[in-house]
Amino acid sequence: MSYAQRETPILAELCELLVEDIYGELAARVFSVLARHGRQTLSALNKASYLNSRQIKHGLVVLIQQHLIFHSASIEPHAASYEIDWQQAYGLVRYGRTLKSVEERFGDKAANVMSNLITLGHTRIQDLREAYFPPHTEESASGEEGANGALGDAKANGSLFVNGDTGMNGHANGTAPPKLNGVKRARPSDEEEVDGEYEDRVEDKTIKSVAELDSIIYHLMLQGWIVKVEWTQYLGPGDLHDITRQEAIESVNEGKLPHGTKEKEAVAYGILRRKREIRDEWLNVPQPTTRKRTSADSDLSRSNKRQRLAGPNNWAPRDDEVIVLDENLTIRANPEKMTVALRTDILVRLVRQLVGHVPATVYETMLRQIEANTPRCYDEWADPPPADTAAMANESVDARFLVTSREVAKNIDPSIDLLEGLDPHGIVLMTYSTSHVDKKGNIVPPIDPFNLSVDARARLIDKHITAIANHPFRFATWHSRAGFSQWRIDFPEIALSLIQHEIETTIAAGNERDKKYGVKLIRALKKKGKLDERQMGNVMMMPAAEIRSVVNGLTVRGFVQTQEIPKVERREAKHSFHLIWYDRQRAREKLLQDTYKGMVRALQRLKYEKETVAGLLAKAERTDVAGNEERWLSKGELEALKKWRGVQEKVLLQVSRMDEVVAVLRDFCGPLVSV
Amino acid sequence: MATDSQRAAAPAGEALDSVLQQNKIDVLYDQCAKAPQGTLFFQRDLSNMAVAENLNELIVLVQELVDMQLMKPMTFDGEPCWKLRTRQDAEKLRKLTSEERLLYHHIDQAQAEGIWTKALRLRTNMTPQAVNKCLKSLENKDLVQSVMSVKFPARKMYLLKHLRPSEDIAGGPWQSEGDFDMALIDTVSRIVEQLIQKETCVTVQPGYNNYDRSEAIAQKKAQRRAAQDIEDAPAVKPYHPPRHNKPRLVLSHDPKLPTAASLLEQIISLGIIRDKVIRESDMEQLLDMMVLEGRLEKIGATYRLALRPSDVEEGMNGFVDAPCGTCPVFDLCGDSGEISARTCVYFAEWLGTESEVV
Ligand code: SF4
Repeated sequence: MSYAQRETPILAELCELLVEDIYGELAARVFSVLARHGRQTLSALNKASYLNSRQIKHGLVVLIQQHLIFHSASIEPHAASYEIDWQQAYGLVRYGRTLKSVEERFGDKAANVMSNLITLGHTRIQDLREAYFPPHTEESASGEEGANGALGDAKANGSLFVNGDTGMNGHANGTAPPKLNGVKRARPSDEEEVDGEYEDRVEDKTIKSVAELDSIIYHLMLQGWIVKVEWTQYLGPGDLHDITRQEAIESVNEGKLPHGTKEKEAVAYGILRRKREIRDEWLNVPQPTTRKRTSADSDLSRSNKRQRLAGPNNWAPRDDEVIVLDENLTIRANPEKMTVALRTDILVRLVRQLVGHVPATVYETMLRQIEANTPRCYDEWADPPPADTAAMANESVDARFLVTSREVAKNIDPSIDLLEGLDPHGIVLMTYSTSHVDKKGNIVPPIDPFNLSVDARARLIDKHITAIANHPFRFATWHSRAGFSQWRIDFPEIALSLIQHEIETTIAAGNERDKKYGVKLIRALKKKGKLDERQMGNVMMMPAAEIRSVVNGLTVRGFVQTQEIPKVERREAKHSFHLIWYDRQRAREKLLQDTYKGMVRALQRLKYEKETVAGLLAKAERTDVAGNEERWLSKGELEALKKWRGVQEKVLLQVSRMDEVVAVLRDFCGPLVSV
Repeated sequence: MATDSQRAAAPAGEALDSVLQQNKIDVLYDQCAKAPQGTLFFQRDLSNMAVAENLNELIVLVQELVDMQLMKPMTFDGEPCWKLRTRQDAEKLRKLTSEERLLYHHIDQAQAEGIWTKALRLRTNMTPQAVNKCLKSLENKDLVQSVMSVKFPARKMYLLKHLRPSEDIAGGPWQSEGDFDMALIDTVSRIVEQLIQKETCVTVQPGYNNYDRSEAIAQKKAQRRAAQDIEDAPAVKPYHPPRHNKPRLVLSHDPKLPTAASLLEQIISLGIIRDKVIRESDMEQLLDMMVLEGRLEKIGATYRLALRPSDVEEGMNGFVDAPCGTCPVFDLCGDSGEISARTCVYFAEWLGTESEVV
């Protein structure tokens, strides 16, 4: 079972809060019955709740539409069972982030499509088209009130999460209804933006035709952000296992139940292979049909070209054609892809903090390039690693996960000053410049950082990559000489470092002593395993008494464990070894649950804060007031509204940062084997 | 060996004899004292000094010296031999009680390794009180010293005063009196940082490459914006490096990263550590400890400074930045009740709002 699929009471509480906030009370009631009682049939659900069956069905529909629950209707049509998809349910907290990530990577229009898809849950292409371009109201197709805004009434209206930004961009959308084609987002770097330009951009965000919509969806499918819906996606982990097991037994063991280790192993491998096949099939993008371009279609040739590069079998429409997707294709957002993007963002932030700005931007360019080829952070259904490590070392690295310095030089934002953070002497050498470094360390005459050859840029970039490769986290690993030099990113190893880093950061936040020595102690234990007091002293080079107090502090906080091993028959403290150790998996688990709890408290607080301004919010959301707040609200009310929005932004930002902690602890690698 | 009967066998001229003998004893002692301190004397060495007339006499003389505590009988490779003591030490030893002498003997045997009080008790069969009393008096006479064992921190080890405790009980050069010498460790680790910095880093001034870039940037931006469309959104959002107005430390272009050995050499040549021998392994111990402290990074067998960008605030994580992350009543806090998010004082302070009063 996936690491994220394990349910704990506090996770259940968190998910209930999220569901209630986004999908309302009814869905939340059904959800919470399932959370409390586990897998249930419809009739059992009926018995376990005070809801009538109509209400339950209604709630289930919403939950199924959003893939928040699994059901077995396809294999047990008469008594289907329902159970919660915890991963997806927790994923609700990432909706705002998903939109931001898509916007950063593919632009505003793509974010707009994504936002609608998320609001609607899984959707048929035809329904999505009609939502954008309602057949009857053709004339309002591009207005904010019209088709492009038609989804504004969706269930998610006014929710804290679906409504885009969780304040990450420094701009809260607050409770204003989502304007589908015109969500205003302050971009982090728009200091030079003038109003006139902004208007243009709004115009630009409007999706003008079905062809354009299809093209955007198709592109997002090629990139793995949107996947098609398959019946196997509804199966809970248990059902999927049973089915694949049956299939594996048929195919590798001639239908007989496996006996003996060898057969059992073969079947186990068969199950994993089958699960991977099923899952990989979800990502296959059905080849769309094409039609001749008409004059009404905007220029989409550029995207055609790109799709030629990324598409299956290098297929792409010809330049005079546009894509037409199968109208009965049902699609949904792919949460696994979101996690991949989230990993990129977290790694980049960390490199920015630990190594520097320019290396971080270089790293971002590398990671984004790999992202397109990365369907998920780690494969929970991977075959177990081969027993002999020599075979593993020989395993060739998939070329899609390699990045060369030259590629980065071509793709990186050209406005980055690549010289920054380097030794001036090195800069002169690497750029083959005729300048020299004077006694004060200045480059004379100065080198224009934005007018360098690709070769020079590749050399500079390689220097920056070397810096991140040499960091103890080994953010990159040298692979070969191709393309100046080729780098690999060893995600599983980095994931471990990230977990360790998160634990250390948390320890450091304790008190002065923990900050100074707690982290040191944890690192010592991680490096050396179990230690007794004397060994501890030798590694940390500190007096025993002082170490003891650090150990005590961390034991209370649950990060280290101690064990007394008697040396003599009588069990006496004086005659025992006191072993101290640190179990990374245990600490990881503890911190994960605590973080869930922190998120629950923050959301509970937000709910309370919202209650305190409920009257005001109701007034501000009235159709006549919304948009004209200045006119209808008093000064005090405006103040209070502003304050509430500030509170909401602050809390949601914090929740989304806690989500990053959860991602690091839970989503980047499977359970660790304890020492 | 000499016995009382032999001594009794020297019949006449007793007074004269004893004076002569005393002289010979002194001569023998002085002869031995010419050799370097700690020399072992075997029987043949003593004969060769030609002080005694014959073997018997030599045996008598040596026994006298031993009785007077001026010589310490030992064996080496199964052969008897003797070592000289100073006259002062001998003087002190002569004044000891028999119990004290017994303890002294055992302590002496343990040499630099020292001996644990409990072991002394077992070997001598004395009561703990007696042992403690004797040890105290030996310490007062400056004959023995006690140190706390590093290996077994609860054990008090005894060894002769003039000996330096072995590393097993006193620890390496970073320890003194059984504990880590924090002042020394602090000083040396700072010097190590300075040495590494001098060798591998350069300081870059803010205006080191005084190129006027505003125009170029504007131009690039305009180009990019023109090229932007939905499918071709920039791979990376535009980013402006913060302007540095302080000198920055950066890694030099082709740094020769130091090893434990090379750093040790420099520390020794600086002459900051006196009367202590530091070996490469001691240096490694210190450097690895600095790695744990996050001050150094280890790459293979070399070390470099852990340079952190100075312009980024060391962010905590989302959990510990929020009130709950460091909350003293985290475990008591519930969904409702007296301690809950609704009534929370920490959230109220953090958000600048009022909490529910219970
Ligand atoms: S809500 Fe308040 S009292 Fe409860 S854990 Fe968080 S900070 Fe502590």
